[in-house]
This record gives sequence, C-alpha cells and structure tokens, in this order.
Amino acid sequence: MADRLSLREIEGFGLATVMARKGIDAATIGDALGCPAPAGPETATAGSLRMIGTGPGTWLALQTSAKPSWSGFISARLSGLASISDQSGGYALYRIEGPQARDLLQRGAFIDLDPAIFGPNTVATTMIAHIGVILWRAGDDAFDIALFRSFASSFKTWFADTAATFPSPSY
Amino acid sequence: MSRHSKGGLIDRSRALSFTFDQQHFTGFEGDTLASALIASDVQLVGRSFKYHRPRGILTAGSEEPNALVTLRSGARAEPNSRATTIPLFDGLEATSQNRWPSLGFDVMSINQLASPLLVAGFYYKTFMWPKRFWEKLYEPLIRRAAGLGALSMLPDPDSYDRAHAFCDLLVIGAGPAGLMAARIAARAGLRVILADEDICVGGRLLAEKHEMDGQSAYRWGKDVGAELDALPNVRLLPRTTVFGVYDGREYGAVERVSDHQSQPQPGQPRQRLWKIIAQHAFLASGAIERPLVFGGNDRPGVMMASAAVTYLNRYAAAPGRCAVVFTTTDSGWAAADTLLRKGLKIAAIVDPRPGPGIISERIAASDAEILTGARVTDVHGSRVKTVDVTTGDGRGRRFAADLLLMSGGWNPAIGLGGNLGARPVWSEDIQSFVLDAAPPGMKAIGAANGRFALDDILADSASAAVRLVKDLGLRCVETTLPSTSPDRAGVSALWHVGPHRKKAFVDFQHDVTDADIDLAAREGFVSIEHLKRYTTLGMATDQGKTSQLNGHALLAAATGKSIAEAGTILSRPPYLPVAIGVLAGHHRDENFRPERRTAGHDWAIERGATFVDAGQWKRAQWFAQPGEKDWKETVNREVAATRNGVGICDVSTLGKIDVQGPDAGALLDRLYINTFSTLAVGKARYGVMLREDGFVMDDGTTTRFGDDRFFVTTTTVNAAKVMQHIDYARQVLWPDLDVQATSVTEQWATYAVAGPRSRALLQAMFADLDLSNAAFPYMAAAEFVWQGRPARIFRLSFSGELAFEVSVPASFGERMIRALFETGSAFGAVPYGTEALGVMRVEKGHAAGNELSGQTTAHDLGMGRMLSKKKDYIGRTMAERAALVDPARPTLVGLKPVDPARRLRAGAHLLPKGAEAIARNDQGYVTSAAFSPTLGHSIALALLQHGPSRHGEHIVVHDPVRGPDIEAIVCDPVFVDPEGIRVRG
Repeated sequence: MADRLSLREIEGFGLATVMARKGIDAATIGDALGCPAPAGPETATAGSLRMIGTGPGTWLALQTSAKPSWSGFISARLSGLASISDQSGGYALYRIEGPQARDLLQRGAFIDLDPAIFGPNTVATTMIAHIGVILWRAGDDAFDIALFRSFASSFKTWFADTAATFPSPSY
Repeated sequence: MSRHSKGGLIDRSRALSFTFDQQHFTGFEGDTLASALIASDVQLVGRSFKYHRPRGILTAGSEEPNALVTLRSGARAEPNSRATTIPLFDGLEATSQNRWPSLGFDVMSINQLASPLLVAGFYYKTFMWPKRFWEKLYEPLIRRAAGLGALSMLPDPDSYDRAHAFCDLLVIGAGPAGLMAARIAARAGLRVILADEDICVGGRLLAEKHEMDGQSAYRWGKDVGAELDALPNVRLLPRTTVFGVYDGREYGAVERVSDHQSQPQPGQPRQRLWKIIAQHAFLASGAIERPLVFGGNDRPGVMMASAAVTYLNRYAAAPGRCAVVFTTTDSGWAAADTLLRKGLKIAAIVDPRPGPGIISERIAASDAEILTGARVTDVHGSRVKTVDVTTGDGRGRRFAADLLLMSGGWNPAIGLGGNLGARPVWSEDIQSFVLDAAPPGMKAIGAANGRFALDDILADSASAAVRLVKDLGLRCVETTLPSTSPDRAGVSALWHVGPHRKKAFVDFQHDVTDADIDLAAREGFVSIEHLKRYTTLGMATDQGKTSQLNGHALLAAATGKSIAEAGTILSRPPYLPVAIGVLAGHHRDENFRPERRTAGHDWAIERGATFVDAGQWKRAQWFAQPGEKDWKETVNREVAATRNGVGICDVSTLGKIDVQGPDAGALLDRLYINTFSTLAVGKARYGVMLREDGFVMDDGTTTRFGDDRFFVTTTTVNAAKVMQHIDYARQVLWPDLDVQATSVTEQWATYAVAGPRSRALLQAMFADLDLSNAAFPYMAAAEFVWQGRPARIFRLSFSGELAFEVSVPASFGERMIRALFETGSAFGAVPYGTEALGVMRVEKGHAAGNELSGQTTAHDLGMGRMLSKKKDYIGRTMAERAALVDPARPTLVGLKPVDPARRLRAGAHLLPKGAEAIARNDQGYVTSAAFSPTLGHSIALALLQHGPSRHGEHIVVHDPVRGPDIEAIVCDPVFVDPEGIRVRG
C-alpha cells in the first residue's frame, strides 16, 4: 500500500557547492562534469549525479551513494573552472513522497507548488517554518528537500505536527 | 419553545444539549448558539460595554454587536464570541459577559444613572479633572465597569496550523454572487478558491425563500457548491474568514478547522491561517442590513428584519410572537411576509416612505396595520413591550408587540476593499458607500457591488466572471443566467427618526448614542476620523459593521454636510477579530523559532550539559557533575581541568566561509585590516574586519589551504552578517575579482582540544600526524583523513593554553566527539562549555561579543598595530578620523579588585578615585567580568579613557544598581600567561 505521505532521510550522499569561476558559463561546467548545469532554478541529472541550480553561476552537485572523498573528484573535474566546497556533511536531505506531499509542503513553503508552475526539475530556495530549504520536484508526488543539518530536528518537528493535521497520516 | 416543528436547515434527529449561564438547553445540529437561544426563548444574552444595558440578539451574522458571550470554559474559554456565528455542538458551554452578579440583575447598570458623565470622550475628560482622582477613582472605576469578556490567563491547549495557496481567482463569499462567479471561472479552467465564513455555501439563499429556474434557490446553491467541490481546480474553504488584503495580491484568511466541535480531533489544529496569493479576487461578501436610530432601539426584542427571516427560515426559530416592522426597504416588506407565512402576528408595518407599501396577499389578508410615511420613535419596556409610532399626519400611535424588526437599508460589506487605502465613495442610488478603487486585482460583485435584487446579483457576478475569463484569454463554458422569482430591492435612507424620548443607539457595542455624536460635533470633532476616535464609534470588536454609516450620516447632518462630503473611514485588517494563536501557528513554546543543534548535541545531553541559546544555536554552557552545588563550581572545575590537563569544547557554531578563486587573497586583503595574501599555505592568521564606518565588525582566524583556497571563520552571532558582507564586497564592490565564497558553517563539526595534555591526547588519536612543536607550530593547519573521512586540524588557541581545533564533516561529528573522549579518558579529558570558554578568554584578554559591540575601533581593542598602512581595506578611511584615533577614547584594560574577595560586575562604570558619581566623571565601563579560578579572584575587561597609560592606577568601579563601589587596579588585559609561552609550548 502506497503511503499517503512519507518522509525519508537520504543518507550516504555526496554534496558540494559548485561556483563558476569568472567568465565560465554553465555549459562549460556541464560539459566538464558530464551532467548539464542548468542556468536557472532547475535541476538536471546524468546517471547518479544531479546538478541543482541555486543562484547565478552556483549549483549544488549531488551524488547519490558517494564516497567520502567524492568532492575531490568534482574538484579535479572542475579544476580552474569552478570553486568547490564539500557540503556532504552540512545538509540533511529528505524525500517527501505521496499524494499529500505537495499539500504538506505547501503548508510550509510560500511558493506555488502546482505542477504547472513548479514542474519536474524545478528548484526553489525558500523557507519552511523559518528554516531555509532547497526544494526540488523529484516526481509527480515526490519532492526532495535539503536543509542545513543543524535544523533537522526542528524541521522534523514541524513536519510531524503538520502531517498530523492530514487525514490518516502515515509517515 | 419557539421552535417550529417543520422546516429549516436543522437536523431534528440530532439534538444537542448546551448550557448558557449554567442553564441547560437543547438545540439541533445546524443551529448556531443564537438560533438555539432564540428557539429556547432566551432574549437577554448580554450587557452593553459602558452602561451595562440589557442586550439581545440583533443580527444573524458576523456583524453582531450585542450577543457576545464567552464560549467554553477553562483554558479553552474564548471571550467575546459572537453567538450568531458559533455553530452549536453537543456540550457547548456559553457564559454571558459584562454583568455582575448575574445577567438578569446587573449592579453596574446603575452606570446608566451616571450617563451624563459617560458621554462621548468621557475617558479623555477624566484626565482634565484633579489629577489625584485619576488613579484613585476613575481608573479603577473604568477598569471594573468597562471591557467585555475576560481571558482565562491559562495556556492555550490547542494547536494552530498555517497553509499557503495560489490561485487565479479568490472568491470571497459563497452566496449567489460568489457561487455564480466561481462556477463560471471554474468551468473555464481557472484555479479558484471559494472562501465563506458559514458552515456551508449559499449565503442569503440559506436564509431566504427564492426560486431559481423553478427550483428552490437553496437547492441551486447546494448543487453549485457540490459541482465546485468536485472540480480539481477549485478549493472550497468553508468556515473561513478572509480578514485582510495585503500588498502583492496577498490575502489573509482564518479557517476555523475545529471551532464547530467541542475540542479539536487528535492532531487537528483549532484554526488554520491561510496566506493566499490571488491574481484576481471577487469580493462577494454581500451586504449588511442597517439599523434605524430611534429611542430604545437597543432593547432585547429589537432585531434586524433580515435576521428574523434567517432565524425563521433557516433555523425554524421564532424570535417573537407579535411584531412591528419598521422598514425603509422593500426587503423589510418581504420580511413581514415571511413572518406571516411562519405564523407570527404583525401589529404594524411602518415605512417612512410615501406610497401604499409592498402589500403581498398575505399582508393584505393579515391584521397588520400599514403605516406609510410614518416612523417608530420609541420602544418601551426593558424588553420590547410597546412601540410608539408617529404617523404620516403627525399623530402618535402605540402598538403592543414583543418584537420590533428594523430595516434601514443595506450597506455593501466592502471592508476588505479599503484595506490598501482606497476610500469608498457615496452612492445616491443605494444610499450607501461603494467601492470606487479596489485593491489591485479585486472587484466587488453582487450585493457587495450594490446590487441587491437576486436577478441583478446573478447578472452582475456572471458578467464580471465572464469578463475575467475572456481577459485571461480563456473560453466560457456556460453563461446562461438562471431565472429567479421576483425580488424587489428598493431602499431609501432614514438616518434619524426625529424627536424621541429614550436613548437612541448608533453603536450598540460601544454604547454610542445619537446625542454623543451631536455632542462630539458641538465640541469640534467634525471630521469622520476624529468623531470615530472621540466617541469610539465603530471601534469595538464588531468594528462598526452595523453602526458606522448611521454615525457618519448623523455627523454630516450635525455639521451641515452631505454624507458624500463627510465621507467615511478607512477599514484596516483584520475584518473580524483574529486570535493571536493562529498568527503564531506552530511557532510557540519550544518551537517559537527553529533551533540549530550541533552534531554533538545528543552526546552533550548524555554528558549532562546545560544549554544556552547563541542565536538559534543550542550550545553546551557547562557540564555539571553530581555533587556540584552550583554552576560556578562546575565552571571553575572545567577551567582548572583544562588549564592543568585537557578540556574539549564544541566550537562548531563559529561561522565558516570558504573563500576561493585566483583573487581570494586580494579580496581578503580588502576585507581585513591586516594582510592575508601573504599567508602561507598550511597556516592560519587572526584577522579583524571593519565596517565602512571604521568600527570593528568581526574577528576570527583565516586559514590558507591552497593558493586559491582560504577558510575564514567568524564569531557565531555574526556568521550570516559576515557572509553577506563578503558577498556584497565580491558581487557589488569588486565584481572584477575572480573570487567565490560560500558558507560551510554547517559542513564542519569542530572541537577545541585545549590544555597542556592536548598534544598527547591528539597524538594518540592521530598517530599518522606529527603534532610536535617543530612540525606543527602555533597557527599551523593541516588537512588529513580520519576513519576514511576528510578532517582538518588547526593549532589555534582561544583559551591561552596549548590547544588545537579538530574538524570533521558534521555528519561525522558525533563520532569524532565520542572518539575524542574514548581516547581522552586516559588523559583525564573533561568537556567544557561556553561559560568556561568565556572565563578563559577573559583571563587571556581576548575581545569577544561584549567588546565587539559595534562601538569599538581596532585601537580601542588594543589592535591598532594590526591596521595595515600598506594597503586599502573597508573602513580604513573612516577609521582614521581624528575622533576615532583620539587616545582619550576608552581603550581595553584589565581590572583586578584591590580586595580579592570583592566581585567585579560587567556594566559597572569607572570613576577616578574621589570623583563624584556623575556622568561627567564617567571614564568607561566594565565590558566583561568573571571569577578567575586560575588567579582565585574576580577579574574584568573594561574600556577606560587613556587605558593603556594607566596600568597600576587605582580606580572606582561604580555599580549603582547592584552594589557598593569597589576599588580596582587597572592592569594589562592579559591576566594569564601574558608572554604567550603556553600557546607556543
């Protein structure tokens, strides 16, 4: 039975801030990585690597199931093209999934999550319950959300309180 | 019982018991508290604010000024709840307000005898009388007499939720206009939100008998509601009040999720705050019937005609047996017809308009006397008993009746339309104010747009919706209008009935009479806004929804202006009272704001940490051990154990910023007063940055890990500010530099390992590293790998001891802190908190938050020599201003009490010995103070005029708040190891 709403913490990922050096465009970064680097608030994937646009010339590179030394690999690929900061330990990453996922996030995020507006691979840097989050659509009924690790406990409290207001929560 | 056996939208199979003032009653599912009270023949439900006059139920809606009760009891008690909008539930408990000792007999109604003293502005006038009267007499008297219900003062046991929504069209009100417009928009595919304060859609169709397309209009409304509810692009929000319009097409609304139940279901909030962004909005909030101003118009038994119709049709509850109907509207005649249809008697129908009246067959066949060109002047009885009428030819008539219905016209409910500052304009046609300019995207439709007849309402709302759909480039699916039964909507206004004997009220809730308005005008309060504030007209919890216009019309008459000239007030949010709790939502108690926990948080709890807030961070303040009698003992132990052995402190909360790129060093040189481009890879350096105005902004160490890779640290509290400052510098000031920066505060968990045994401990843990003084000297830094993870080690010291800082990714931080103590147990390692950290930094004379106050320069803090003269940097020019380099500026010094038993306190002021304790002699103040367990006495850091040249001088530490003067010796701010031998050991 599919859960109407689930919150799952993703672990073992590699995450790094990628900031383009002066005069280096998104396409160059994407070519060097073998994964498109969107020039706006969008995400793109190639294999297990995902590039998440968070600002002009700025991305989070996300690798599922990465080795601890993974950011060194990114640094090597983008040597001279971008500045890399390992963030693998700095963020907590969650998958929120189920038919109620959008409604639940809409309780916290004051951005329009309608699929016509916030479609596949759209990214937003926004706030939920006064906590800064990076949010992207991971499927029709699925969203991924990254937030500073120190806020994880407060975020989960907000999630649980809010999920409890939905009919028959299961998370 | 005044409940009819048939009819109404109540479920007679579901009886609900409730109490009012401890008396038991029964109502039905579908009732409001007001309808159930009416059905139970309860006429007296409250006392008025100022005169404590008995009051009944005036309306059947949220505009109700009189029937305010305290709903529920204990912690859930909610004062000033409108009985007219409280859905009845089983076990409901309501209590009348503003009466003592009982509703029937109220001692304070004696205020009426003193009413000459309680006229308009009485509150202000009391200020003018002998001053001693105010505190002793007026204030206690006014406080006891005034006010409505009281708060329980208990914590709210319920929770509150928040939601956000976005739509093409927000329809405010689900009456015929709102339903019609919403259906057209929804069928065309717009994203529609339809909000209505009632428990179900329909608006006036729930209360009146009309036909649409040959079927009951109520049924039509219900069908449209069901169709809308089934559409995926529509969200129906019943029990929801849109209370405000804000910039950016934002609307605030409160959904009463659980208020119709005795208490919320598990997990459910009591209410939910909605923030809605609507590109377009239709204000379909209907109209509010206007009372008439005559003597005794506030007596229980005087009711709005539309309210009586609602109670009869919707709730099958009769508010009386024999009525006089006083109307200036066609709808009042329709109300008379309804009364007769429901079996009530009508003594007279009084209409000041000339002409025969609107005499239905039922009216013609009844005993009702038709008096046109006439007016009601007074009502007699503490509840309605007799009614005085002046007929068209000036004769007086008296009628016996227990109910007086009044209908003075209809005011479009356009309060929300004025929220962004547009003043409504006068309409001669409907004798009321209408919206001229509405907030961007908003349009009033139906009765809110001054269209009162049902066919007009449907036509107006349909055309508005069709126009919107077309403007958006979409196609309408269906636009045919339903045919309607006849609905006459003629009105003319009668602002005052002329001479009358009893008090005639304009604002029922605030007890403002026609005489008060005249008095205000005579006293010179001739603007609408002044009238409002002087008389408090329209300033009660109902915000004058029934009273405002009558008051303005009377002021206009008193000042010889037209109503259009006198104008009306601006309405601000909220449209109806909003509980503070729903605005706070989730964010109360421990969730007041989100908290940030370090990776070692759970470990610190296990070790018995007491936490302190540092911004949003929770930091371990100290780690008490069993048997320690207070925190001072704990902190002294932590300091001593660190200085004599090894202590470990979580310093993960310090701000951390990666500054990278070919020009990273150049940027740092411009940000800091000292130079970083010359820093060697693998070395750290302490730096200070200034604001543009030349004062110190922040400090911290910066480490170079590569030619183009720097790692900047900031104080905990300034982390975000410094990040912004760096981004501003690189993006705005010097976009030509090739430099990138990002916060890595969260990436690294960092632990300070301090004390003479720190090297031995870490060497035991990290056998591959050479931590000897030769290989890893003071201010060295290195990256390495620990347990397969990237790790960093720095030779930095805040404590003044031989010390290191160790960093790992935060996801690995808990493992690191536990490993440090597993290895550290052999070395007697102790955890220490921010308090011991603070004591040790005062002992070492390090400036911290208290000294980096935004008012100190680098010179003030003894760091003038760091100010580079070889380069430019932010703040340099302003820091060189004469006043900022004046040696007389208070400058950092240390203080020791002459008597070591005395305690220095932060905040105390410094005076020369023998000087009088006045501001002119003030030479500085104590910024930080601590008991130094290392020295065995109190020490302090202070800012003192000419400080560095006064070491050895005795000075008076003056603390007028907390204790007697203390004599202290001025000294160097570095109390422990001033030569810095230990840190380099």
